[in-house]
Amino acid sequence: MFDFLFAVTEWLRTTALLDFAFWITETPLSLFMVENFWLVPAAQVVHILAIAAAFGATLMLTLRTMGASGTGSTIEETSARYVPWIWWGLLVIVISGLLMLTAEPLRNMINAVFWFKMIFLVGTILITLGFQKRIRAAAAGAGATWVAGGGTKTTAFAILVLWCLIMACGRWIAYVPV
Amino acid sequence: MASYYPEPTNIWESIEYSSLGTSIAESLWAFPTLETIHVIALVTVLGTVFVMDLRMLGVASVGRAISKISTDTLKWTWIGFVVAAITGTLLFTSKASTYMVNPYFIVKMVLIVLAGLNMLYFHFVTWKNVDQWDLTDTPKAAKVAAVLSLSFWIVVVFCGRAIGFTLGIYY
Repeated sequence: MFDFLFAVTEWLRTTALLDFAFWITETPLSLFMVENFWLVPAAQVVHILAIAAAFGATLMLTLRTMGASGTGSTIEETSARYVPWIWWGLLVIVISGLLMLTAEPLRNMINAVFWFKMIFLVGTILITLGFQKRIRAAAAGAGATWVAGGGTKTTAFAILVLWCLIMACGRWIAYVPV
Repeated sequence: MASYYPEPTNIWESIEYSSLGTSIAESLWAFPTLETIHVIALVTVLGTVFVMDLRMLGVASVGRAISKISTDTLKWTWIGFVVAAITGTLLFTSKASTYMVNPYFIVKMVLIVLAGLNMLYFHFVTWKNVDQWDLTDTPKAAKVAAVLSLSFWIVVVFCGRAIGFTLGIYY
């Protein structure tokens, strides 16, 4: 596994990403982030708080879909409460993430784990979009007593697993050999 | 068994040089793996705490009884907290004496205790007459508890990150 990640990172080093990452280090925003010691940790704090808001909302919507929590409220009510927090949270995650990326472009862009994280993130966003649309349509069609089928419950659970995988990648960016 | 570590001079060094502490410190994967689980657990704590605190403040979930929001979230808050505490303790053993001289670590521990006391006071005192405000506006005591909770946990996250950025500074 480590060998594979190392090989991917070595390949990334041969691409135009290397020059692009070096170019970012010269930009005023990157220099500003690097020269002020507390800006990177501050961006990470915002990143973590936004993950908490979005992941917490995802957890609540998942548990309601599985019938494990939030029962007594309809899928429409639960979606109306949590879906905006998932997307606004994700927006803050992306903005704070871009700031962290700007501060340390080489550490991230010449790093296999970072790109796997991005692939998982895009996948999770697409699956979440489809999932949210599907449960709202199904619940609107079947009424307040709608109970999710096995496939929908599996998708809900898979989204939580994907979030955990993304967070794991986020942590391991700092530890893989680059 | 030959030890590469010096004789411990205090309890924190004893923890750090224990076989558990040195195993975690020497392993290539143990620390990052524990850290990963710690992060997933702490965002579960924070995410569910946000849901409850925002309901207490009347900002979100206002259509759902506060006792139901508490039931929805509290179990997950506790599961997350127990996992975060276990993984946090294991992370601590690997660098115990370094953490004990770090002011951000000490402040973080104090704030977690304060967050716990705040939660206990809310659930055992303020909560007593919840049936009177379960679906209406929450009392001032509940709003104060929510603001304290949010403040404590946000600073806990800041301290957690600050520890990682200041490890070599204080010893």
